[in-house]
Amino acid sequence: MSVIDIRGLHKSFGDLSVLKGIDLKVEPGEVVVIIGPSGSGKSTLLRCLNFLEYPDEGEIRVNGELIDPNKSDLDKVRQHMGMVFQGFHLFPHQNVLHNITLAPINVKGMSHKKANLIARDLLDKVGLPDREKTWPSQLSGGQKQRVAIARALAMDPDIMLFDEVTSALDPELVNEVLQVMQDLAAGGMTMVVVTHEMGFAREMADRVIMMDDGRIIEQGTPTELFENPQEERTKAFIGQVL
Amino acid sequence: MNVIAIAQEYFWGFFIATGTTLQLTAVSLVLAVGIGLLFAFLKLSGNRAANIFADAYIGLTRGMPLIVQLMFLYFGISSIVTLSSFWAGTLALAFHAGGYVAEILRGAIQNIDRGQTEAARSLGMSRGKTMLLIVLPQAFRRAIPSLGNQFIIGLKDSTLVAFLGVPELFSKAMTAAAANYQPFETYLVAGTYYLVLVLIFTKLVNRLETRLTPDRQEAAR
Repeated sequence: MSVIDIRGLHKSFGDLSVLKGIDLKVEPGEVVVIIGPSGSGKSTLLRCLNFLEYPDEGEIRVNGELIDPNKSDLDKVRQHMGMVFQGFHLFPHQNVLHNITLAPINVKGMSHKKANLIARDLLDKVGLPDREKTWPSQLSGGQKQRVAIARALAMDPDIMLFDEVTSALDPELVNEVLQVMQDLAAGGMTMVVVTHEMGFAREMADRVIMMDDGRIIEQGTPTELFENPQEERTKAFIGQVL
Repeated sequence: MNVIAIAQEYFWGFFIATGTTLQLTAVSLVLAVGIGLLFAFLKLSGNRAANIFADAYIGLTRGMPLIVQLMFLYFGISSIVTLSSFWAGTLALAFHAGGYVAEILRGAIQNIDRGQTEAARSLGMSRGKTMLLIVLPQAFRRAIPSLGNQFIIGLKDSTLVAFLGVPELFSKAMTAAAANYQPFETYLVAGTYYLVLVLIFTKLVNRLETRLTPDRQEAAR
């Protein structure tokens, strides 16, 4: 069963039509990378997946269940989907450990002891084992983003959504974040990644999706898309970013 | 100097009255924060009727002199229920300050980055928990300087409650001045009490702000 199954997704902001009919399936363990020029609707598509934006039209199924944003328990749906943002959005009033344990304790009702164990294990995995008492304001951008990934993972999601997570980072900090994402992908996590990091797309993606003007114009394996793009716009875009 | 003699003579009387002043101020501000939070939520609710109601309240409290509100509420409330002058004064001060606190808190809540809410919701937190655990703690911390300022205004506004017969500092000073025919010295002494209170309180607010912002505090080290 697909983790995500989208059919005929449309989304507008006022008069501006951002998504013009998207069909997309994401299978368990798959790493899907979405590329495309700014304004093509990549981020909006990602935000529709966990209903930070409500779709205007179309069906979204999560683990086979059709979600109606007005009726379904979206809090429950979102618990199964981790999201990492371009701007980190760590909670500045909580230290690193509490950033990670807050949701497991308050949403899942997990004991503090168990949440702390999970959080420490995740901090190990993202390479920040000694930072649990640190405040977000004391971390570098790359460290913040790794904590944000750990925070999302602490809810034990079925799928992780990454929204241009390295775009706000200094170039020398990009790799430490990509490394964590590679480890995750190698560990079998289902991932949808919006990124401009073509190196990551090439190496880690099972499937690359090219979006332009609110539509998926082309998709395929990294080799297909990067070595032999069929669409003119894909060729032009890849030529520009590589 | 007569001032020293006056200060000595009324030391305990003013000291005890200062306690009443502080009670009036503290209780009314705590109530005002509750009222303010309620009206801030009404303004942020997006519900038209709630908005109009909140605007009407905020407009009334900010648009009329405090002494008018005090008299109106005191005589208004006491015609329905019997209240001690202390509680009538406290409630009136709270009602008045609530309008200002509502605007302070609304602004503070609105100024918290939307990304905070989105991050919390993306973790599966409900709207209520997001507000309680993520937005409000940050909003209150940011509102501390303004709330502290409101407390100082409230402390000085509490003098008006003297006209309801509450035995607070200013009413004691009026009584004393009328009895000793030395208004200049007496009000100078009473004024000094207020000044010292405000100075102490300003220090406390600054300290509270540093303590409640441990991240900035440690970053500054």
